[in-house]
This record gives sequence, C-alpha cells and structure tokens, in this order.
Amino acid sequence: MSAKTSDRLLGLFLILLGVAFFAAIIPWQAQAADYGWLKPRTLPRILAVMLGLCGLALLIRPPGDVRPGRFHWARAMLFAGVLVLGLAAMSWLGFALIAPPMALVLMWLAHERRPLWLVLGAAGMPAVIWFTVAVLLDRPLP
Amino acid sequence: MPELSVILAGFGDALAPINLLFILFGVALGQFVGAVPGIGPVMATAIAIPFTFGMDPLTGIAFLVGVNKGGLVGGAIPAVLLNTPGTPDAAATALDGYPLAKQGKPLKATKMALFASITGDTFSDIVLITVSAPMAILALRMGPAEVLGLMLLAFAVIAGLMGQSLVKGLVAIALGLMAAMVGTDPEHGSPRLIFGNYELYDGLPLASVAIGMLAISELLKRLSETRGTVRAAIILPRHQPRADRSVSWIEYWGCRFTMLRGAVIGTILGALPGIGSTAAAFMSYASARQASKEPESFGKGSLHGIAASESANSSVMGANMIPMLTLGIPGSVSAALIISAFMIHGIQPGPFLFSQQGQLVYGLFGAMIIANLINLWVGQLGLRFWVRVVSAPEPFIFASALLMCFVGVALASGGLFGIGVMLVFALLAYVMSAFGISVVVFIIAFFLGPRLEVSLSQTLALLNGQPQKLFDYPFALALMALAAVTAVALARRRDTESETR
Repeated sequence: MSAKTSDRLLGLFLILLGVAFFAAIIPWQAQAADYGWLKPRTLPRILAVMLGLCGLALLIRPPGDVRPGRFHWARAMLFAGVLVLGLAAMSWLGFALIAPPMALVLMWLAHERRPLWLVLGAAGMPAVIWFTVAVLLDRPLP
Repeated sequence: MPELSVILAGFGDALAPINLLFILFGVALGQFVGAVPGIGPVMATAIAIPFTFGMDPLTGIAFLVGVNKGGLVGGAIPAVLLNTPGTPDAAATALDGYPLAKQGKPLKATKMALFASITGDTFSDIVLITVSAPMAILALRMGPAEVLGLMLLAFAVIAGLMGQSLVKGLVAIALGLMAAMVGTDPEHGSPRLIFGNYELYDGLPLASVAIGMLAISELLKRLSETRGTVRAAIILPRHQPRADRSVSWIEYWGCRFTMLRGAVIGTILGALPGIGSTAAAFMSYASARQASKEPESFGKGSLHGIAASESANSSVMGANMIPMLTLGIPGSVSAALIISAFMIHGIQPGPFLFSQQGQLVYGLFGAMIIANLINLWVGQLGLRFWVRVVSAPEPFIFASALLMCFVGVALASGGLFGIGVMLVFALLAYVMSAFGISVVVFIIAFFLGPRLEVSLSQTLALLNGQPQKLFDYPFALALMALAAVTAVALARRRDTESETR
C-alpha cells in the first residue's frame, strides 16, 4: 500500500472517528450543562470537528510523507499479545510468579537462545526488581 | 535579605561532612532510580522522604534535593541509550540523543546530556539564590489570561516539531487534547469520557500514557525488528577515538547559547506553578531548531538538540523552588514533596522563611550547588556503567526494560489498571508512528491539555462575554500576539522547507 493510499484511509478513519465522537460518544460520555462558559462537551466537540476536518484534508490531499522505517505488524502484535497475556496473568498470580516466564517468552521470541542470558533475563532481572522494589524500597509489586 | 554572616553560616552548614555524604548518597540513588523507566525523580523523591525522618532538617532536605537532581540526570540515560524515555520530559532528549548513540557515540550523547543538565540546573539555582523574590512576585502576577497566553505560545512553538505534514501534526494535537479530556470536567466537576471506569476520574495517568507511548511502543518496534542474529542493544565500536567518546570544550562552548536559551525557558516556566519540565524541554528544543543555522541536523544526533532539551528540563527544578520557598506554593509534584519534607521537619515555607530560617535556606542553596558538582562527578562514573549495561544483548535489555516499565507504572499509577492503560497507549503510538503522526506532539498536547482547559475556562469567566476586557491584560495579549507571530513564522518556514525539498 502506498503512503498516499494509507493517508487516504487514515483520513477516512478520522472522519468516522470525528463523527462518532461528535454525534455519539461525547453526548453519551459528557454531561450536558446549561450554564458556564466552557461546558463539558464544548472542547471535546471542537476537537471532534478538528479531527473530522483533518481527516477530510487527508482524504482530499494526502501528503504521502516519509514514514519512520518499516513496521513489522505481525511480530509487533505477537509481542504485544505476550504483554497483554502477561498482564492478565499478573492480575491473577502476581508479578513475582509471572515476570520470569514472561521475560523468558519475550527473549525466546526475540531469538535469544544462549542459556546464560536466558537465565539472567528470566531469573536474575525479576529477582533484582523484586529485591529492589519489595525489599529495599518496601513497595508492593503489581 | 538576611545578614552576610547568616548566609555564610548557611553555606558553611552545607559543607558539613554528613551533609556532603547524604548529598552524594542522594545523587547516586537518584541517578540509579531515575534511569529506570517509570520511576523517575518524583517517585524517587517520594520513596526517599521517609528515610529523612530521623535526620537533621538540612541533611534531610539536602538528601532529597540530591535525589531529585540525580533523578533528572538519570532520566536522560534510557532516553539516549534505548530511545525509551522513562519520563515525558526526557522525550525531547531522545530526539537527538538516541540517533547519536546509534551512530556508535553513546558516551558522547550521554555526556552532552549530563553537561547540559548540570549547566541548566546551575543556572536556575543561581537565579533562585539571587533573584528569587522578584521572580516569585512576577510569577504570582500571572493570572489565568496570562497562563492561557503562555499555553497558546507553547502550542505555537511546539508546532515546530510537527514533522513534514501540518495536518498530521494537528491530528496529533487533537488526539492528545482529546485524551486529556478524559476525567473530571474542571468547570462543572462532572465525569467525562471515562466509560464507567472510576479509576479515570482524575484523568488518564500521565506515567501510563507517557511510558506506553514513548517507551513500550519503541520497545515493541525494536523487538519486532529482531531477526535470527542477536545483537547488542548499543554497539560500542572498539578503539573508539576520544572525540567520539567525549564532549570537547569547543563542542560544549559551541552549545552555550542553546543551553542559555534552554535554561532561561526552563527557569521562567519552572517559576510558574504547574507547567513543568516537559513543556520547557520541548519549547527549548523547538526554539533551538528554529534558531539553528542547520535545522536539518536536528533529529539526526545534533548536540544542540540534546543541550536544548536537557538544559531546559533540568533548570525547571531550581526554578520550582522559587514560588515554593518565597510563597509556599509548590511549582511541581517534586516541589510539593520537598515542601512536605520541610513541614515534617517543622519548617513552614513562605514569605517569612528567609527571615526566620535564613541559615537553613542558604544551607539548602549551598547544598543545591554542591549537588550539581556531585551530580557531574557521579554522572561521569555512572554513564560508563549504563553504557556497558546496554551493550548487553537486545532481547535481555528489552525484556528487562519491559519488566521495569510494568513495575514503574504500577508504582506510579497505583496498580494493574495503569499497566493496562500503558499497553493501550503503546499500541496507539505504534499505529500513529506507522501513519506518520507525531507521538511526541500527542504527548505534549496531552500534558498541556488540562492546564489549557482550566486557563481557558477561567479566562472566559474573567471576560464574562466581553472580549474587549482582554485589553485589561496587556501581558496576556502580548503572549497571544507572540504565539500568533510564532505560528505564522513556523508556517512560512515550513513552506520554504517544502519548496526546497
């Protein structure tokens, strides 16, 4: 997909987002007020209009500017998935139990196979964090 | 003004061995903790306060000042070495620091950050010591209209960071401000855009948004780029020439005007309660790029870029002390923490502090200057250590950094909800970067958004539907006019640059 096409798609998305905010989300999520100079809905609605107009501008005249490097979506989502799963597991079992396997999976997926570094990352670093936060600073780990 | 004997006695107290020792300990702790993404100087100061309960007032406060100053220097380390700023104010440092580190000059980049940070910090300390009282009076005269003018000026200056597409820059601003709308509406006190999550009553946690967008998204990008061969996070060339490992006097002196401008911006913004170091760092960076004869070198490892950001964000710390010591108004969360330490030790900051506790105040000033020198010394040693640490393999460094971000954000935002917010904003930043929308501009808009809304609401209430009343606020008008001139100048410059391209 060319940069101009992706900008047009972005423009379309922003128009829809602006309309959704203006017509549905803001009336649902911000109370109406009949007094005051800056009501709860005023600034969000101005921003929704701004988003929609910017979307229109991108749709009509896409800049097609240079992007900062290549994006490996599938692999990025894979790592993001590990983090989300790690967070879900942490809410159940806590940081101390989940951090070592999470670090191990992350390093393994990043092609680290050397046992020393795997042990350092999966056992050493969580232990250092636990010692620093829970023991030295006396703060609860998530 | 206290007598000279009181001033000298205060400075003498700062040189007592026990105070020197605790300043050293505070600076070292601050630099270490500040380098951990998500913790930063504020968290470090909060953690350190209970340790001061048993100390003399000056020793305890000097220790906290050391932690705070060390934290500012430490915050630049992950920004420069891994492009993962642990705090939003270090994000501007990453813009040039990381490209320079990637060129195989991590020590040079971190040293420039250290020197600029110490320079800016020392400048604001000198301003604090010499002209704190008139500065505080001036800061107190800044009403809502003037703050609104300043906010508009900040947005106009930051427009210089928008990148190639003006429309995408505006999208970043609109999205950042929309994220800032989450929470309680400041005028009516009603919840807004919280979707039933009462954790969002106070708005989206800044630490979660900033670390998610600046650090986690970058770590995801870097992890997704890993291939079969494992590399070091930062590659240190063997037998590197001295010029690539250090900052020469000529290079440092060449950045003097950039650092001076940054220090002045940081000192002015720092003296105003609530604006903070993030806005100062980005305003200084944008204005340095605007003033530069080689604006195209910014973002590619320019020493001026690092100097601009670090001198500004570090000079905020000393300036925050101006309203705190003279009026008892904390200019930032760090200053509020230090005020609480004053009160714990039975000292009431405010107009009578200089007359009643002159020796203590000048002892504190002495400690601040000494902390800068110690920061320089500890920093020189610590930077070598951190550069060695990040020359470990990428998977190890990135996995460790992710764990630290999880813990740091949980500590800063009070639990797992903050980590969830962090992950959502990390994905948003990844998508925004892929479409060429500036994450940095989003963060600044998000950061300044609540202040902008409050000052706008208060200004509208002051004007009471009569725009001509704005002429009663000449300084505010001047700031607004300056914002308009800056926006036009930047737009013209953008047009010229696009024609050149």
